[in-house]
Amino acid sequence: MSSTPIPNTFDDEQRRDPQWYKRAVFYEVLIRGFADSNGDGTGDIKGLISRLDYLQWLGVDCLWLLPLYESPLRDGGYDIADFMKILPEFGDLGDFVKLVDEAHKRGMRVVADLVMNHTSDAHPWFQASRHDPEGPFGDFYVWSDSDQRYKDARIIFIDTESSNWTYDPVRGQYYWHRFFHHQPDLNYENPDVQDAMLEVLRFWLDLGIDGFRMDAIPYLFEEDGTNCENLPKTHEYLKRVRAEVDRLYPDRVLLAEANQWPSDVVEYFGDPVGGGDECHMAFHFPLMPRIFMAVRRESRYPISEIMAQTPKIPENCQWGIFLRNHDELTLEMVTDEERDYMYSEYAKDPRMRANVGIRRRLAPLLENDRNQIELFTALLLSLPGSPVLYYGDEIGMGDNIWLGDRDGVRTPMQWTPDRNAGFSECDPGRLYLPTIMDPIYGYQAINVEAQQKNGGSLLHWTKRMIEIRKRHPVFGLGEFIELNSSNPSVLAFVRELGDDRMLCVNNLSRFPQPVELDLRRFVGVSPVETMGGVPFPPIGELPYLLTLPGHGFYWFTLPPATRPDVQEE
Amino acid sequence: MLEELLARWITHQRWFAGKGRPLDALAIESDVVLVAGEPGLRHLILSIRQNHSVDRYQLLLGMREELPDRLKHAMIGTCGPYGFENGPHHHEWYVYDAAHDPSLTGHLLEDTDHGPIRFRRIPGVTIDTSLRSLVLGAEQSNTSLVYGDAYICKLFRRLIPGVNPELEIVTALAARDAKHIAQPYGWIETDLDGTVTTLAITQEFLSNANDGWDLALASVRDLYGTPAEAGNLTAADAGGDFAAEAHRLGTATAQIHRELAEAFPTGVVERPEVKRMVEDFRRRLGRAIAEVPELAEHREAIETVYHQVERLPGEVRVQRVHGDYHLGQVMRTPVDWIVLDFEGEPGQPLPERRAQSSPLKDVAGMLRSFDYAARHLLADNPDAESLEARSHDWAARNRKSFLTGYAEAGGHISGADAALLKALEYSKAVYEVVYEARNRPTWVSIPLAAFR
Repeated sequence: MSSTPIPNTFDDEQRRDPQWYKRAVFYEVLIRGFADSNGDGTGDIKGLISRLDYLQWLGVDCLWLLPLYESPLRDGGYDIADFMKILPEFGDLGDFVKLVDEAHKRGMRVVADLVMNHTSDAHPWFQASRHDPEGPFGDFYVWSDSDQRYKDARIIFIDTESSNWTYDPVRGQYYWHRFFHHQPDLNYENPDVQDAMLEVLRFWLDLGIDGFRMDAIPYLFEEDGTNCENLPKTHEYLKRVRAEVDRLYPDRVLLAEANQWPSDVVEYFGDPVGGGDECHMAFHFPLMPRIFMAVRRESRYPISEIMAQTPKIPENCQWGIFLRNHDELTLEMVTDEERDYMYSEYAKDPRMRANVGIRRRLAPLLENDRNQIELFTALLLSLPGSPVLYYGDEIGMGDNIWLGDRDGVRTPMQWTPDRNAGFSECDPGRLYLPTIMDPIYGYQAINVEAQQKNGGSLLHWTKRMIEIRKRHPVFGLGEFIELNSSNPSVLAFVRELGDDRMLCVNNLSRFPQPVELDLRRFVGVSPVETMGGVPFPPIGELPYLLTLPGHGFYWFTLPPATRPDVQEE
Repeated sequence: MLEELLARWITHQRWFAGKGRPLDALAIESDVVLVAGEPGLRHLILSIRQNHSVDRYQLLLGMREELPDRLKHAMIGTCGPYGFENGPHHHEWYVYDAAHDPSLTGHLLEDTDHGPIRFRRIPGVTIDTSLRSLVLGAEQSNTSLVYGDAYICKLFRRLIPGVNPELEIVTALAARDAKHIAQPYGWIETDLDGTVTTLAITQEFLSNANDGWDLALASVRDLYGTPAEAGNLTAADAGGDFAAEAHRLGTATAQIHRELAEAFPTGVVERPEVKRMVEDFRRRLGRAIAEVPELAEHREAIETVYHQVERLPGEVRVQRVHGDYHLGQVMRTPVDWIVLDFEGEPGQPLPERRAQSSPLKDVAGMLRSFDYAARHLLADNPDAESLEARSHDWAARNRKSFLTGYAEAGGHISGADAALLKALEYSKAVYEVVYEARNRPTWVSIPLAAFR
């Protein structure tokens, strides 16, 4: 494994990195919320293409798009009505192909959400299934005469759904749905369903897409007497999907969305012998709330604990980590005691809560404290995994808790201080969601244009950090070793890959803190701080003393020892 | 000649207990060659007479013809001609404290005997003797060596004949698969006055852990640092809430107590003996008030609690306990709490350190420690008055969580236990008042607050 960065390329003549996703910085973008090219108040693919230069400038390696398929939009597009059509307000397949080409020209890749588990009830498959039980689609969904099967499966959207079964008066049977009642689950026991979904995957891969984030994959199969999550048959099918992708489309990535404990999620990487044969990546869900908790408690233990509980993953696999995304801050993966704590700390108003989470953006969650935003971002960029940034967080955008459901964190991207934040030229009333206008987070105060002009802005700082991260593939590829820190408020760790070694020291407390680190393994090394390149005093046998300002952090490279190791005469 | 060098050197060592008194005589009572080579290593037991008392110390003597710079700080002096049978013989040797020489300390992890010095290992344990050691700083009475990030070897300096209580307890608990202790790996022993005597213990090193005191203070500091505009801030609302940790610590404590009761004999203390204990408490209270008059105003409150214990109907169950239990003796690893230093009450003779006692003595010690953590940052603090309510709240919340955890895991603190616990806590606080008045007068308010 090399520790020199390999540039992204799509030229078949050049050396390509099959593990690009292990080093990549991902950027989650809402097509709807990013840029509107035709003035209809809704962002579209052409608008996104016009902003690719910005994303390249920022240092993004891979865009993650939310669902962009034909949909009645009763669940933000996760209710797909046609897998092979683009939602008309976003554009058409021609626009999509252009997006992929333009992104590739800039060394960026594109992955998109794909919902494998269910469709919209408006999908022709479902309509055929309910009207013609004996027809070719009659068995495409999970139908039953009784709503008593699979009793052990929990209800996920407890705020709105009372059962996982809903009665369909047309067919006269109940259909199974793990999410909203308008999202019937596909019946993966039916080989035709399995084949149909593989065809969907091939369709998009042929158009040039670089991979999929596969939504809600633990739920593909059902079985009585189980909680209907993570069943062996689900893994069997995923292995089949992976084999198909590897056979026809090397260099593409499958990212699992499985909101489970890391020890269960590792199953989705597949067999470690051979480096993993299911998904290339999976999100590490419990880490994110633990980061919030650790900083709020000024204690490294919430993070140390979850890292100690995170199993090793197969050779060719990678975690996806994030601070915030389009969903609520998920609290499913924390204990009840911790959940109460997070609610009381970060969601003081009940409106800030949704389902089992908290709906805020990063900046307002941290009370717009620049030091904390920087510390959180530094942790995101240095803990093991590929970081996923959420659009707008690079400029510290705010949210609007008065909007319904999860819309509060999906407002238009703030480009300029002009009308509609430079997002659209439409009448403000036509916007899909109002722009943020409060005095702290409003687009007149927070926007890309102003921050690009100001070298001290959060945007420039974030860009710089991404640059440093990309210069050191160890962040994506290296081992994570937590160091013994003499101070419980200081989280210190080493990332290590051959001679590329990075020492990260983070003060989780708002007060200045000293820390003594046992760095005897690196005797003779002079750490070099990465932001400014300042060499620090050489490491000796004695504990290495550092002092950090409140919420401060350091990233040091550990070059080879400058003087011979004082091992023994 | 070596004796003279040692006599000059030893009085400056941090672990030398007889500082400030003239040293009348120093004799090398035992001298065992551990490594005959260059560098060489000898194990010495010194006997030192001051006035009429004799203390014994052990020393690992390193010997080199040339002393590298990195060992200069451990130098004792030069002497010679001197040497080893079947080994190097030099006209002059540098002698130094070999605890600081990683090229020699690996021998402490061995398992072969050298004459009267016996190296023992817990059966089934394999040890990597190639790891380099580092002396931990800031220790009063022992010297601890950390090997890599794997082992810690505690070398006792002043030798007291007998098996060390820490070794006795951790080996017994490890045999029961106790999970709240640092695993023992081995020890070194010899015979002193015809008694098997522990010279050193090697245990698992908790390479990624902080002690409870540091963790608790981070929490208290956070509570104190939150601006008053945030309203009536309670410990439960504060970001750095420690209650969940206190609860876990209570659980771990109860489990340790149960394991101690299973591993060692237990007993009961009959009423006359309880009475004698309370009389002893009273005597100490009297002496304390004579020394610290501020304590007098609390006499009645304290006496009342002591009296309640005297009138308790039943007997008191006793067992082996930790003996010196406080937040500084517990370490939080990424997984759980680990209890360290089962040495019993410091400064007491061995039989007393091993004596049975009510497990509530440990509970009382930890409760006092929560009080100290809450109030420690108030001493010399200009905002002390306005923070008083918060400190009280922090202590109350965490004491309660600790007790809840302790009770949930099977610790006894109901009915009659409550009165005894209170008395033990008061007696400990009385001791603290005297200690602070003598050593840190500005802190005397910390233990005094216990009686309010």
